[in-house]
Amino acid sequence: MSRDLKVGLFIVGTTIIILAALLYLANEKGLFANTYVFTLSSKSGDGLTEGMPVVFSGFDIGKVSTLELNDKGMVLIKIKIAQRHVKWIKADSAFILYRPLIGAARIVVTTNNLNSPPLPEDKIVAMETVNDINDAIKKVQPLLEKITQIAENLERLSNNLSDPKGDLNRILSNAQIITKTLSSKKSFLEMAVADEESVQSIYEALKKVKDIVTKIDKMADKMDKQLYGKEGTLPNINQILKDIAGKLQKLDKTVDNINKISTDTSDGMKDFRMLRSDIDDTVNAIDDVAKKLDDLISSKKDPEFKLP
Amino acid sequence: MRYFLLITLIAFICACGSSQPIPQWKDTSFRQLETYKVNFLTDQEDATEPHFAKAKKAASSNNNLLLLSTVYLTKYALHTAALEEFDDSDFLRMEKLHPHAANRAYYNLLKGDFHAVEVKLLPPIYSKLLPFMAQKNLSAANREFASMNDSLSVLIACGIWVKHLPYDDSIVKLAIDIAAANGWRRPLWAYLTTLQQYYLDHQETTKAQNIKERLELLKK
Repeated sequence: MSRDLKVGLFIVGTTIIILAALLYLANEKGLFANTYVFTLSSKSGDGLTEGMPVVFSGFDIGKVSTLELNDKGMVLIKIKIAQRHVKWIKADSAFILYRPLIGAARIVVTTNNLNSPPLPEDKIVAMETVNDINDAIKKVQPLLEKITQIAENLERLSNNLSDPKGDLNRILSNAQIITKTLSSKKSFLEMAVADEESVQSIYEALKKVKDIVTKIDKMADKMDKQLYGKEGTLPNINQILKDIAGKLQKLDKTVDNINKISTDTSDGMKDFRMLRSDIDDTVNAIDDVAKKLDDLISSKKDPEFKLP
Repeated sequence: MRYFLLITLIAFICACGSSQPIPQWKDTSFRQLETYKVNFLTDQEDATEPHFAKAKKAASSNNNLLLLSTVYLTKYALHTAALEEFDDSDFLRMEKLHPHAANRAYYNLLKGDFHAVEVKLLPPIYSKLLPFMAQKNLSAANREFASMNDSLSVLIACGIWVKHLPYDDSIVKLAIDIAAANGWRRPLWAYLTTLQQYYLDHQETTKAQNIKERLELLKK
């Protein structure tokens, strides 16, 4: 094989490989894939640019191809969705222009029901806008109003402080008057009551209370002596209790004696029984004698039991 | 003459010795029952009724329920004479074991069940009185009371009448007179109290007051 042929083959092979790689990349990028075009509408075209990505669940599935105004002044946004991603676009899909505070704006597709029918290409869907910047401004605005209000209040307060006829200055002057009065009065009570006679009455009442307390103290002392003194009630009671205890001990002996006596009596009762038996015998003997005499003297008949 | 006297004495002694001796239980029971009667009526028998108990004990030693029931009926009759209630359970138990028509008739009389009484079986002293009791004829009964010669029987009859039949002060006064004549305190207090209540019931307060004062004085 000649040298020229070899070079020719190398160039042709290299070209084929390069073309094949390019074709592969183009295919992978979806250059040859079929695309579907859907039309969205918006009142404003702010933040919309051609080539803006269309995102579904965080994945790019297409992009904005063209922007144009229709006769009614509405912005028509045409988006191209590759065939393999068109299955995410359904009739109930929502298209939201999302403009984050940081990062590029994008159109977010949300499909709640993937079983719903596909979105027809000729249908124009209204697009909503979520604007983080505007939301942040809306949130900051009331805060700014409050800061402004605080600043106004601070200004008013400072004005009041600087004003000689202001509330604070009036309070301070009143405090000065009170301290002056306090320094001139004999007591805090006099200042509170504001009547010297009443204060005098209170003093007298307090003196009486003091006297009463003193008397009660004395009475308590006396009571203490009467109760706990050498000849007080409690020592006497203790003495009485000791006497009672002693007498009870003696009583124990008495009870023992009584027990002994009752035992003796019980023994004696046996003698009594014997004695009674003797008496019964004697009475019966006398009875028998009397009966026999009665039998001898009188002609006694057989007694007859008759009902009365 | 001397021989005649000696023979007569021996004959007397032999005559005394020939009679049969009275059984001990019978004599004791009879005497105790008689003592009980007197003590009960004179209010000397306490609540334990010791003489009745002795009479009952002596009578029961003969194993004769008929005699024992007679003793019990005597006690019931005395209670009736003193216008008191009596516990007849013992008699009824004996009557069940050993029925006796005469005792039953007497018991029915004491209980005021006159229609159940058979006149012939009653002690003769009550035989004429029973029809008047059945008819509640007090005036006729009063006449009959006058002809009865046993004070205790009359008092028992008065007690039966006052306890079970409508009465007036005449029969109560009669009972008071009989009790007073014999010194029977227990029925005397009972009839005086009954008479006082009778007068109170008939709005005769003065008479009732008199009886009350009499009772207080007598009981002093």
